[in-house]
Amino acid sequence: MICCKECIDLLYDYIEGLLDQETSKSLEEHFEECPPCIAFLNTYKSTTTLCRDTLNQIEIPDEVRHTLQSFLKENKDQQEKK
Amino acid sequence: MSFTQQKVDKEIEEALVKDFQAGNLDAYDKIVELYQKRIYALSFNLMRNQMDAQDVAQEVLLTLFKKIHTFQGKSAFSSWVYRITLNSSYMKLRSKKKEPKISIDELLPSFNSTGFQQEKIQDWSENTESLLFTNETREIINKAVGLLPEKEKVVFLLRDVEGLSTEKVSEVLDLTIPAVKSRLHRARLFLRKKLSGYFEEYNSQKGET
Repeated sequence: MICCKECIDLLYDYIEGLLDQETSKSLEEHFEECPPCIAFLNTYKSTTTLCRDTLNQIEIPDEVRHTLQSFLKENKDQQEKK
Repeated sequence: MSFTQQKVDKEIEEALVKDFQAGNLDAYDKIVELYQKRIYALSFNLMRNQMDAQDVAQEVLLTLFKKIHTFQGKSAFSSWVYRITLNSSYMKLRSKKKEPKISIDELLPSFNSTGFQQEKIQDWSENTESLLFTNETREIINKAVGLLPEKEKVVFLLRDVEGLSTEKVSEVLDLTIPAVKSRLHRARLFLRKKLSGYFEEYNSQKGET
């Protein structure tokens, strides 16, 4: 049976579905007998979701959008004059 | 997004780039509209400062304007834009005072000699819903991501936050696929550990009341 260390090393590929059937099966056998590793798997997955959802909320603030717009307009006007 | 939708988007984007290379400024405006949020968000997440992210976004949009003729289409246009954004953000970061580095290894899981986990692992994954999007959680997450070493942080932001494929990240950063995977895994382990402290405390407080 694989140990916790191997289990955690394999988590990434397991979640991505990249493990071969045999390895995947022995990992699942480990999970059945090791609640801490299930807790680890669940919190590992949650971490990704939480961070993604939080960091994806970033919008361009209105004042930045305006600055960018006038900056681009200026740049364009300059180009057209040339 | 469906595969066909992605394909259509890619074709539209390629056409816009070609038009812009031919001197069509409306195509440039459309490219800006498509990319400015992604450019701003990536640089903001790297630097955590609105003014700096604004400077970088300006610089990147100007670079796209001036250097579009050097884009040869060897890699995807988006990879090119991400690379310019990263370079510009790193230049900015280098000009600033460095924060003390934190070792990622200290926060990786520890095992005993037979390879079993040494620490007690709590499963807080089901209790995050009520905490998601509170200011405190947001701050904890931002701080944890801010503490990631640069190498791991950029892989994490591109792959898990921006949602790029592993292959695309390896193209943008010029890293091998195993290197991308290993950095991403380390970043996730680090962040899991950081968030665990917070959520475990929250759970135990909830248990008491």
